[in-house]
Amino acid sequence: MKSKITRRRFLGATATASAALAATPALAGPKSHPPAWRGTERVDEIATTCEMCFWRCGVVASVVNGKVVRVKGNPEHPQNQGRLCARGNAGTRLLYDPDRLKTPLLRTGERGAGEFKPVSWDEALDYLADKLLKLRKEHGAESVAFFPHGNGARFFATLMKAYGTPNSAEPSFAQCRGPREVGYSLTFGQGLGSPEPVDLEESKLIVLIGSHLGENVFTSQINAFSTALSRGAKLITVDPRFSTAAAKSDWWLPIRPGTDIALLLAWMNVLVGENLCDTEYLASYATGFDKLAAHVKQFTPEWAAPITDLPIDKIRETARAMGQAKPAVAVHPGRHVTWYGDDTQRARAMAILTALLGSWGRKGGIFLPTPVERGSFELPDFPDSARGRADGAGTRFPLAIEELGVTNGLIDATISGDPYPIKGWIIYGQNVLESIPQPARTIEAMKKLDLVVVVDVLPVDQIQYADLVLPEATYLERYDPPTIVESAKRPFVAVRSPACEPLYDSKPGWWIAKELAKKLDLGDFFPWKTPEEHLATLLAPLELDGKTLLNCGAVSFPGQPYLEDKLPEERTFDTASGKIELYSQDLADIGADPLPRYTPPAEPYKGFVRLIYGRAPMHSFARSQNNAALHALMPENEVWFHPSVAMTFGIANGDRVALENGDGIRSDPVRVRVTEGIRSDCAYMVHGFGQKSKSLRRAGGRGASDNGLMSQVSVDPLTGGTGMRVNFVRPVKA
Amino acid sequence: MVTDLRKCVGCHACTVACNGEWDVPPGEARTRVRMTPLAGSFPELSSSTYVAQCNQCDHPPCIEPCPSGATYQDATGVIRVDQDVCIGCGFCIEACPYEARHISARTKKVDKCDFCAPRIARGAEPACVSTCPANAKHFGDLEDRTGDVHRMVFHDGARRIESASVAPGPNVFYLGDDAHLDLVQASFPPRPPRLITAGETLKRLFKPLVIGVVGLTFLGQAVAFFTQLHKGEGDFDE
Repeated sequence: MKSKITRRRFLGATATASAALAATPALAGPKSHPPAWRGTERVDEIATTCEMCFWRCGVVASVVNGKVVRVKGNPEHPQNQGRLCARGNAGTRLLYDPDRLKTPLLRTGERGAGEFKPVSWDEALDYLADKLLKLRKEHGAESVAFFPHGNGARFFATLMKAYGTPNSAEPSFAQCRGPREVGYSLTFGQGLGSPEPVDLEESKLIVLIGSHLGENVFTSQINAFSTALSRGAKLITVDPRFSTAAAKSDWWLPIRPGTDIALLLAWMNVLVGENLCDTEYLASYATGFDKLAAHVKQFTPEWAAPITDLPIDKIRETARAMGQAKPAVAVHPGRHVTWYGDDTQRARAMAILTALLGSWGRKGGIFLPTPVERGSFELPDFPDSARGRADGAGTRFPLAIEELGVTNGLIDATISGDPYPIKGWIIYGQNVLESIPQPARTIEAMKKLDLVVVVDVLPVDQIQYADLVLPEATYLERYDPPTIVESAKRPFVAVRSPACEPLYDSKPGWWIAKELAKKLDLGDFFPWKTPEEHLATLLAPLELDGKTLLNCGAVSFPGQPYLEDKLPEERTFDTASGKIELYSQDLADIGADPLPRYTPPAEPYKGFVRLIYGRAPMHSFARSQNNAALHALMPENEVWFHPSVAMTFGIANGDRVALENGDGIRSDPVRVRVTEGIRSDCAYMVHGFGQKSKSLRRAGGRGASDNGLMSQVSVDPLTGGTGMRVNFVRPVKA
Repeated sequence: MVTDLRKCVGCHACTVACNGEWDVPPGEARTRVRMTPLAGSFPELSSSTYVAQCNQCDHPPCIEPCPSGATYQDATGVIRVDQDVCIGCGFCIEACPYEARHISARTKKVDKCDFCAPRIARGAEPACVSTCPANAKHFGDLEDRTGDVHRMVFHDGARRIESASVAPGPNVFYLGDDAHLDLVQASFPPRPPRLITAGETLKRLFKPLVIGVVGLTFLGQAVAFFTQLHKGEGDFDE
């Protein structure tokens, strides 16, 4: 079933760059960072962009004699304004991690045995070019799949397109925010992009649904959150666990996992039934209100209470609080939203709630991106792929965004050979064993391949399945394409430029991609000689020279974040109707629910509890566990159980147990935290631990992997997103 | 200093920034983020973050027990440890009600927060204040009636963490609602100074002395050895 919905409308905010910026860029007084002196020692202050997570805060690296001695927040950067989280502050510990990959490595033993020999870059790239040319000749270019993540991946993305494969997929879609982008696009005609433009700072009421701000730390978002709370904003937190945010809440709703849509429908029922919607806004901008009103009439708080395990009066009270605070209500759309397989519908419900409160494009709600123009290179035409994508984006998963792709779709195709055989994987900046569920399937797929290449900084578990490992320079040692953030109240352009020379025999991604392109006879797709030239071309339309940007790290422009900033005739939505679509004809046309409906999630097996997972503020995904400073703060994760569950299983606080899931898969030993701060029908772990690689001397063998226990997924039929909160565990003797 | 616990999310940025600023090895900290135990039972629960550091007390209990005179109060009221004089005996650690001092594995001497005195001297804020993503930490002159800190303490009700029996006049104040601050107070009460026996005193005083003498004997050889060992080595992690 091919979607009739145009792809254009499903692009996130960051991809809406075609429109030119109306205003002439007025620079926000950028200042260069002059060198400082420590006695007679010269300290160079290099402005660049952090990559300890993906939020891309501005940092200043202090460099003495070629060594980065400290990384601080860049006060000139419009996003974090000099502030920086624990991970950002620990940047030098990644740069100088002695466990880093140091030279290219070529596999010598069986795949999976982790036996390699060091080779030169010339040997490595010759080997890779030969393999890629052979695969293209024998199986077609589409037989090679690309797994990217991060800004630096864009050079490889160009290379893979030039090589001729459309098969690229990152977990930021099907394992993260994909259903959110699609659900909001269906409603408002555009997704949210990253960073998500939530106007927390100006909000009078913040609604967090499974979002654990505080443990999930993005510096600017935390700043806005804290600012709002100190100004007296109210907070509703819906979470089965007593999170840091729950502890700051006016209302903590410890919902039964998987029943969020029921709560959202009941909230809508109260808003509609008690005339608490922003009727003027809806009359101007929305369609489908009558159908929605008729739909939610049946979903009363009385109906939702037994489903959600929440008191009727709390449901009603929180809905009224929203109605009173509207339109300055920030219903946070969340980020990692692939939970139960009906996630696009839950995102739709959250988008509709936002619309009913008149919060989209309004102060204190969700603000609007401002397009920023960017330059481009004159490149040869990219080859067309006759066979189309293998991941199901646009076909099997009709609403998946092709630009982001469906990782699990590529894994399925690699295992099954359907729609055609996949023979090679190139993995850049993502950890396929930690970020994609069902790791046993991922390993099965990798074992079938003729070529596995990993470009990474650290020897994470996946490298043992690689034929070739290419050591990339860290973010502090390399240039990356400029960060252009449109989803900010003041949109900005920022740069990542090297603070020091790459250590060991590591190379920046741009160099690797460009050199490989030469060997593949695709050098014309890289028509720039230096990173400075690359930067200058991309910045050309902004009348901004690269040097200014390199000096100050970031330059911001005036934005138009609210609907009222636009002329009345410009206040349109990129949907079929040109309005906010409360009722989605697009969904009806592909046989999906045009209005969100609650479907019960699979119940935990008897004697098991549901495994839920999240973040800790000192770690990013599975990337930071080997960082000396961050490891010292949190060397391993714990599993949280309610006291009643602990009693049932006869375990106590501090015990070490293994977790066994419904398929009999066991985790590594993990310490138990017995706490009242979690419901008795679930267990909680922080994600990213339980890595096995002995080459990660700090992280290896510490804690347990939540991802390892995810042998079940509930796949969202609309987007391919892998719902992961459908795995059930019980503690067993470690 | 005022730490606004309503804003603090317990992200540990302060700790890591401080460690980076003063080359404090991982695992040690001049400022630490802690979480109170949960109060109440499901679903009526309460908890708070707490950021612990040296309180630069008005009546510092750490000065008097210091046998070498290394710990002193400077002209601005900040408690400093003269690293050239400290013998690492740790008596001040026992005396501190806030567990804000530790022996540095790097220097074998006492290390603690000094409100980033060298940064303050050049007009910068303490590193933890500059980096705090939540903007939860505020530094300023308590006497300055126009400043944020004065307002927070005298108008917004920022509180000291002290008890009837242990009240050294700490100069880190905490903002928050009463219930949360009561929980912090109950969870991390200031500790009465510990009594140290005469025998323990002698042991501690002589240990550094003995180490010093033995150390000096081998110093020349050790320097030569390590110089050789580290020659050309670029690895300075830990």
